[in-house]
Amino acid sequence: MANLRDIKQRITSVQSTSQITRTMEMVATAKIKRAQEKIESARPYSFAMMEVLGNVARYVQGASHPLLEEHEERKRVMVVTITSDRGLCGAFNSNILRITEDVIRSERNAGVETDVIAVGKKAIGYLRYRGIEPVMSYRDVSDKPTFSEARAIAAHIIPRYEAGELDAAYIVFNRFKNVAEQKPETYQLLPIEQRVMEAEEEKGGMHAEYLFEPTAAEVLEHLLPTYVETLVYRALMESAAAEQGARRTAMKSATDNASEMITTLTRSYNRARQAAITTEIAEIVGGAAALEEA
Amino acid sequence: MARTLLCEIVTPEKIVYTNEVEMVIAPTLDGEVGILPLHAPLVTVLRPGELRVRYNDGKDVEWFAVAGGYLQVHQDKVIVLADAAEHASRVDVDRARQAKELAEQRMAEMKQKPLMEREDMTECEEDLKWCEIQLQVAEKRS
Repeated sequence: MANLRDIKQRITSVQSTSQITRTMEMVATAKIKRAQEKIESARPYSFAMMEVLGNVARYVQGASHPLLEEHEERKRVMVVTITSDRGLCGAFNSNILRITEDVIRSERNAGVETDVIAVGKKAIGYLRYRGIEPVMSYRDVSDKPTFSEARAIAAHIIPRYEAGELDAAYIVFNRFKNVAEQKPETYQLLPIEQRVMEAEEEKGGMHAEYLFEPTAAEVLEHLLPTYVETLVYRALMESAAAEQGARRTAMKSATDNASEMITTLTRSYNRARQAAITTEIAEIVGGAAALEEA
Repeated sequence: MARTLLCEIVTPEKIVYTNEVEMVIAPTLDGEVGILPLHAPLVTVLRPGELRVRYNDGKDVEWFAVAGGYLQVHQDKVIVLADAAEHASRVDVDRARQAKELAEQRMAEMKQKPLMEREDMTECEEDLKWCEIQLQVAEKRS
């Protein structure tokens, strides 16, 4: 039977842990809301962007732009990995890192070299440990991603793709499905898939005749890099919201487990206390009986 | 009342402005364009500069600083997709000034270096330009 003091100590320690996890759960809940609002407020921009892109695409038939062209040979691809800066969020980061490694491995088996851009301390740490040196790393982004950060990341990819140094670029991140669910996802950033340009056309019907200034091709030239930046920005925001969601779920189950543990510990504490009392009484009775006999 | 346009200024981070206006004047690559109601559908690229809207029979004018982007006109609706945009009254003058000084300092440092060692200066130039525009626009607030 465990010693009374030991059990008491464990109960106190579990209690203080559950206090921390409960607080973290509440903080995460509050942060999800803010992150969700940010995603919402970015929506008008991406909708308008898709609309403009669709309009332009209709006018530049068979559009040729370096970012749309698929390279014949695949020699080097870029993988952007988005993780969090902090832990304690369940399988959030390990899912992403596993997918990243899968991508790297399968590309390597196909004889393709991979460069990695790591976003978030967790990715940086893990990849370094695995002997994969990221070409670029960003930290302290996951809490409050900004568009200029997305731009900086895109700036490492777009010129290199145009120069033919890269033959594809992927982004691996957690998509925020709802408060309780995150879905790790791989998205192709470059080359821009043709269907992006075509999707708008189908639902068309009536189309206005647009004027372009300077020309449709030049507008497209400006628009495509911005489109890629928007994709990166979106991924950063989704990941930020998903991180808080994952943390909330993880902390909720930690809190639940802690209270369950406290219940069992209290039960065994009481049992031990009772046993101690019983032994004590038995000893007293035994002692008294021994005295009487004497 | 005169015919109006719906003007929407959006950035990736937020919606900066929506209002019914009579005229939008925006800085494009080839110079300023003024857009009135019944304008033909148009898509154009903006350069960093000042954007203004007029309404209330041209009596009220609002100024914005925009850091480049796109503008689409379609059926009396003007959508401005800006990389960054700020209403004149919202410009943080002190911050813009500080950022401008910092950018100038960085530019000066870079110019000291021999040509071969210089990093890409476009980013720095863009920062500087954006600060200057914000300050310019801030002066115009009424």
